[in-house]
Amino acid sequence: MSPLNTGGPVNGPPGGDGIRTGVFVCCCGGNISDIVDVEYVAREVGRRPGVACALVHTFICSDPGQALIEQKIAELKLNRVVLAACSPTLHQLTFRRAVSRAGLNPFLFEHVNVREQVSWVTEDLHGATQKATRLVAAAVARTRNLVPLEKRRIPIRPSALVIGGGVAGLVAARDLARRGTKVTLVESRPFLGGRMAQLHTLFPTGEEAREVLRRLMQAVVRDPLVTTFTNATILESRGVVGSFRTRIRIAPRGVNKQLNFAGSAIAACPEETVSEFDYGLGRRKAIYFAYPGCWPPMPAIDWNACTRCGRCVSAGGGKGIELDGKPYEIEVPSGVIVLATGFDPYEPLHGEYGYRIFPKVVTLQQLVRLLDPEGPTAGRLPGSGNGPLRVGFIHCVGARQWEGVHQQQADGKVNDYCARTCCTAALHAALRIRELYPDARIASFYQDIRTYGRGHEAYYERASEAGVLFIRYDAKKPPRVRLDPRGEAPLVVQAGDLLTGGRPLEVPCDLVVLATGVVPHNVSELVDMYRCAVGSDRFLLEVHPKLRPVELAVAGVFLAGTCQGPMNVTETAAAASAAASKAAAMITQGHVEMDPIIAKVDDDLCTGCRTCLAVCPYDAISRDPARKRTIVNEALCAGCGTCAAACPSDAIQQFGFTDAQVRSELAVLLEGAGAGAAVGSEAGNA
Amino acid sequence: MPEPKAEKIEPVAAGASLEKWEPRIIAFLCYWCSYAGADAAGTLRLKYPHNVLIVRVMCSGRVDPELISGAFAQGADGVLVCGCQIGCCHYISGNHKTMARMPLLGRLLVEMGLEPGRFRHEWVSASEGEKFARITNEITEEVRRLGPLNWPGRLHARGVGHGEDLEPWGTPQ
Repeated sequence: MSPLNTGGPVNGPPGGDGIRTGVFVCCCGGNISDIVDVEYVAREVGRRPGVACALVHTFICSDPGQALIEQKIAELKLNRVVLAACSPTLHQLTFRRAVSRAGLNPFLFEHVNVREQVSWVTEDLHGATQKATRLVAAAVARTRNLVPLEKRRIPIRPSALVIGGGVAGLVAARDLARRGTKVTLVESRPFLGGRMAQLHTLFPTGEEAREVLRRLMQAVVRDPLVTTFTNATILESRGVVGSFRTRIRIAPRGVNKQLNFAGSAIAACPEETVSEFDYGLGRRKAIYFAYPGCWPPMPAIDWNACTRCGRCVSAGGGKGIELDGKPYEIEVPSGVIVLATGFDPYEPLHGEYGYRIFPKVVTLQQLVRLLDPEGPTAGRLPGSGNGPLRVGFIHCVGARQWEGVHQQQADGKVNDYCARTCCTAALHAALRIRELYPDARIASFYQDIRTYGRGHEAYYERASEAGVLFIRYDAKKPPRVRLDPRGEAPLVVQAGDLLTGGRPLEVPCDLVVLATGVVPHNVSELVDMYRCAVGSDRFLLEVHPKLRPVELAVAGVFLAGTCQGPMNVTETAAAASAAASKAAAMITQGHVEMDPIIAKVDDDLCTGCRTCLAVCPYDAISRDPARKRTIVNEALCAGCGTCAAACPSDAIQQFGFTDAQVRSELAVLLEGAGAGAAVGSEAGNA
Repeated sequence: MPEPKAEKIEPVAAGASLEKWEPRIIAFLCYWCSYAGADAAGTLRLKYPHNVLIVRVMCSGRVDPELISGAFAQGADGVLVCGCQIGCCHYISGNHKTMARMPLLGRLLVEMGLEPGRFRHEWVSASEGEKFARITNEITEEVRRLGPLNWPGRLHARGVGHGEDLEPWGTPQ
């Protein structure tokens, strides 16, 4: 019979006597011991059956602390270890390793949280001590039912799927390919380049964004290990780390390599539509290039705008345009997946700072397009009329918002985070305006100027020297944009100047620029598919901001760039390189180790009722028709235990959380409970 | 269908000392969201009663209704089950099963004579430390108001099921 079988006495050891448990209680330098009487906990738990030692240590996670555990395991021949310390999310792995070093199976170790869930949440010393004692004693009982578990090794296919063809996806694809990994790069739009292509020059170097991007794209598309798909939508992803299978739908581009006269074909098109590349400021044809030098180097057809009139076919030389293209599907096998789905600029709400009410209110992204020599106005700002151009920048639009002050977003939240890129970008644009219009008068309404990066502060200094007027407003009293009542200028920005005690100011402006923040590109389908963790700011959430900054909690899925948070191009490239190297490291290792916390079916108890098939979120359970039993696919099982809860005959047990283990824990937690049980009757400390 | 009404039973068992009585509440928390939410409450130094004893499971979908009824049978005065917010389950849809099971179990427990306030089922995300602290405060206050459960005694008094067997899973160690 399997050791998981629940047939035996649940509170007894699984294989007879001989359980020798070592209990270690950490003081965490007072974090725990200031509230919890750790000596009392050790003394009480030390009396429990099977406990060979119960010791207190100041910092058990320190090297001497870990050495103590190892030493006691050897000295007292411990075969179970219970540790009462901080949260297992922090140090469970540390101690599993320590236990392993001493030759004990790491799954015979139990971590009890007496800091985050005991000492930090109460000031009641007596109650905290009782609670800690119960939790530790329950863990001691639970460990009696633990069995040694071995980590599973899953082989990794040496290929990667990179989702997103902006700068993050391109850098990740390039770096992975350079390490010899086969890469499939997919982009949902018809052209690579992403948001970076919409920039003109980059801070802090002043390089042309599209020139940098062109070099990067060349490196990627020329690499024989990289296969690129545009117009691609992820339909479905199956499998687990090492053997993902992703089904992708490729929408027809309408144009292939045989097109000879792209320029004539575009000129012949009679249909025009709003250019999303220029944030609605310009217009483009239904067959179009997104931007000069884009890749693939052939136009694409916007099927929403195209009427299939056929004029582009004849003008283009008769071949290379397919107006009747059909979408097709591909399936991409890959060992790892890199998400580089990017961001969207914050779209101000209707009427937010006059946006969409006054045509002279634009976003920073729109201003960047207007200042771009290849943009919709060839780099000129809309007519300034007589006299010098007056421009007002309002910082922190759609960022660092306050509940109750700013209007809520569609999901009921406000964007309380700093969008990080907009301060320097706004100053960068302000200086560009001064270059083009040396007599321009620029006012900048800000909460705080955050030019945090290398070389960014220089923009602030130069803007100050150039006479940009900085007006600090109270974050809870944001400026207002109004029609100029005196008619001197089209608009006026009203704000209280915080630095002079909130004195009200009115600054007439020809153009008001909203330094809009960034929001994550909507990837709710991918979030569902890959079960990504999402932060309260809606950006994808890494496992740990410092220890595992580019990994999702889903093994084998990595985060590159602004899908994770606001970043500028420099930071995005760094993040993408980091994601690529983590992914490559996993591939180089050849296999990944997975927790053995998975479900197992006891053949003797299984009746073949198939209840478990319906509840498994991973389709990891199948039925063996020959034996009329169900079996769990170990590679697919993620270890949630939902089937174990559903099984009517208790034939499925989840390793690490068997019925016997949880019940023995409960039995001790509830010892002495029931009618009239008093906490105070059990112990006299306080 | 109207909600079944809780049977009126004298909450205090004979001989119990109410002055010293402290409710014992078991909280089943999923590891990825709610357990982290409870950690967040600690990190924020929010205070909640020490009566709440946390049992960690990987997913709220693991919480077998039998574990909950068993906890009551063994003397728990209240049980709380917390899972990830719907849509945020680390295991895709483990909490969907919780969402289906718990309301059903709640009705069943009421049918069996339990006051509705003793069993609660909530979604707590990893960042919702404040929510976790609030819920634990609320359930503790509610259970304290209701008094000791003494379910084994109640069943025994009614001669229901194995009313005579007060140790549902054998003798504790």
